[in-house]
Amino acid sequence: MSEEMNYSKAIERLEEIVQALERGGIPLDETLKLYDEGAKLLDFCQQELASAEGKLNEMRLSDIEMKLSE
Amino acid sequence: MSRGSELTTGPIPVGQFVNLVRNTLRNDKIFQNQVITGEITQWKQYPNGHTYFTLRDSDGQISAVIWKGRCHIDPIIEEGSVVVVIANLDLYAKAGKIQLVVNKIEPVNKLGLLEEQKKLLIEALRNEGLLDRPRMTLPMIPKHIAIITGTGSAALADMNRLIENRWPGLRRTIIGVTVQGENAPNEIVRAILAAGKLSNPTIAMKLDLPPVDLIIVGRGGGAPEDLWAFNLEPVVRAIIASNIPVVSAVGHESDLLVSDLVADIRASTPSNAIERCVPEYDYQQQLSIHFSERLDEATNRLFLDWRNRIQLIQSRLLNAPLKGVYNANQHISNLSSRLSNAVIGKFSNARKKLQFLCNTMQLSMQKSLANETTKLAVIESSLNSAHPRNVLERGYSMITDGTGELVSKTKDLAKGQQVILALSDGSAKATIDEIKKIGENNE
Repeated sequence: MSEEMNYSKAIERLEEIVQALERGGIPLDETLKLYDEGAKLLDFCQQELASAEGKLNEMRLSDIEMKLSE
Repeated sequence: MSRGSELTTGPIPVGQFVNLVRNTLRNDKIFQNQVITGEITQWKQYPNGHTYFTLRDSDGQISAVIWKGRCHIDPIIEEGSVVVVIANLDLYAKAGKIQLVVNKIEPVNKLGLLEEQKKLLIEALRNEGLLDRPRMTLPMIPKHIAIITGTGSAALADMNRLIENRWPGLRRTIIGVTVQGENAPNEIVRAILAAGKLSNPTIAMKLDLPPVDLIIVGRGGGAPEDLWAFNLEPVVRAIIASNIPVVSAVGHESDLLVSDLVADIRASTPSNAIERCVPEYDYQQQLSIHFSERLDEATNRLFLDWRNRIQLIQSRLLNAPLKGVYNANQHISNLSSRLSNAVIGKFSNARKKLQFLCNTMQLSMQKSLANETTKLAVIESSLNSAHPRNVLERGYSMITDGTGELVSKTKDLAKGQQVILALSDGSAKATIDEIKKIGENNE
């Protein structure tokens, strides 16, 4: 998977893959390749969803400036 | 007004009463030389030199007059100007009207002047091409939002509540600033710079955070002057200079600020900013599930197609009358049942399992399938050329006796015996008249 992959690109590519598989008429090895790519993209999306979670930091401007200057 | 004794002598004429009130007002220090501020409406300068207007704000209003030559009137004062006056309260007896008699008037110049500066700033930005510069797109899933707004403000509470509704626990850093007053522009600029630093992956990593990928800067509604920081050049330039998308979320729907004009996204309110930047977690999860299901279903269908094709080849092989294909047939049968097992039963919903099976199949089956397909093609073509029918096509015929046994030697025949001749397009019955073995004399 390329480095610049992001969530919206992944969703876009997933749509393409699923549509290709739904159209059918693909050789077996291509089917497997597409399936594999699709499964990887789904994993990527799941990771993206999970990685947006984190804690809430609430700081006054001066605190954050102090932290950044450390 | 202790005139109790006079009350019995009859009513007071109204003019006398009004003048009594007037004298009371004039003699009360609290109503004299007051410094009062407000906005001018109904500003009228009469040819006789007197000027009349109404001084107002959101809580009240009062008529005012500037007598000719009483004081200097700044020519920039007009309808809508905010002014400070020094005035005495008086009552114009003829009309029974209370009014301010103005001794001094000065424009506060606040909004009027500010509006003028705002216009100039917008004009300058337009000339620099900054209003129609290309905007950055928002990340579909923000991993770290910096929210710059008033500490403990209602707007912040609204935003936090909405985020928790849409994406519980979404990572965010709130940078609390002063959003109005003298310090506001400076603090907002510094906060945008701080958020910018947090968008640097190296700096963010040091703080054990993913880089900030979106800035929301804003505040709740208020009087135009209260929102003014967002119309000031330093704030506006800081937004333009940001390397990551900035959402301007100031005031209410109807407030249009210069920050709105230059931001990557203009949200009508702080809440609107959250609605536009924070996706709904449940929806994204469903999207993922939806794709997962479609991927499985489509792949399953294709595998079933392949299985059917293999079964077709297999049945053609079974119909072929040669024993030599037995092994190949076995192999295909094996493949077919493996495909059936893999496809139908076990993993209709288990994507992971499917992937595992696919990988195994990919390794073993694909190779052997390709081999088998080649083998099959060879077998089929040799089958075709070896089939008895093809021999008959060439003009030969096949003889069987009454029991269906193939006759290939003269010793199996007797004179007068009935035989069946198989031809390419049918059969014929025949009787043996004469038998001759190769090498025997005609006699």
